[in-house]
Amino acid sequence: MDIKEIQITKKFEFSASHRYWREDWTDKKNNEVFGLCTSPYGHGHNYELHVTVTGTVDPDTGMIINLSDLKKYVKLVLEEFDHKYLNLDNTAFQELIPTTENIARVLYEKIDSQLVNKGDFKLFRVRLYERSDLYVDVWSPGE
Amino acid sequence: MKLNTTFNRVYQFTCAHRLHSDTLSDRENLDVYDKCNNYNGHGHDYTLEVSLKGDPDPKTGMIVPLQEFDHRVKKVLSVLDYKHLDKEVEYFRTHHSSGEVIVQYLWDELEKLFPHGQLYHLKLWETNNNYFELGV
Repeated sequence: MDIKEIQITKKFEFSASHRYWREDWTDKKNNEVFGLCTSPYGHGHNYELHVTVTGTVDPDTGMIINLSDLKKYVKLVLEEFDHKYLNLDNTAFQELIPTTENIARVLYEKIDSQLVNKGDFKLFRVRLYERSDLYVDVWSPGE
Repeated sequence: MKLNTTFNRVYQFTCAHRLHSDTLSDRENLDVYDKCNNYNGHGHDYTLEVSLKGDPDPKTGMIVPLQEFDHRVKKVLSVLDYKHLDKEVEYFRTHHSSGEVIVQYLWDELEKLFPHGQLYHLKLWETNNNYFELGV
């Protein structure tokens, strides 16, 4: 059997607070566009992150990537996100509003660089759930 | 880094319907549609996942502001919500109210409300065990 393009996905959770606000906009415009997300001290979510990796199945182990390794790489990235106020505690969001779109894109880039040169696999996609009814997918155009 | 991004929202609506084809005999209808052919209809809590693809606006960090997204989708779903599809929704008086046709109808209606090419994928759950998809 010719096995190719198998994907493996591992789920992670982290909790963080954020606020949507642009200093260059009036209070009125901020409230119109961002609604409840403008709350002055931030609000929080229990995010759920699905990390999907693709690659060759190692004939010795039967695995694309050792899940303990994947966990280690992703946990390293999530240290800057878990139990943080993203606007103030995470340098990626000093200029960038920590919307689900932006958080997912930053996570993609950071996880992708963690996986580079670690083995015959690569990041395929990240899916980030802010809540069960709102999520973002990010993947590379090559996929 | 150039990345593809989709923003996805999950909505619910509830409808009654009956699967029945006028071109088939009663016996054939029962054979094809089985319990979905029940004379007085039946209903579902539908779940719809709507995916939009695009680059987040550099000012807002969003592909489309959430309130606007919700407003547009709810406008389409309000036509169906708490209705008997075959009896109360004009389109389904002349079209089958199967999941396949409902997801196609939703695509056509939603596509009108978003910039060209932004609507990316629809996933319509009829029950927890079956869903219909359309798009990329």
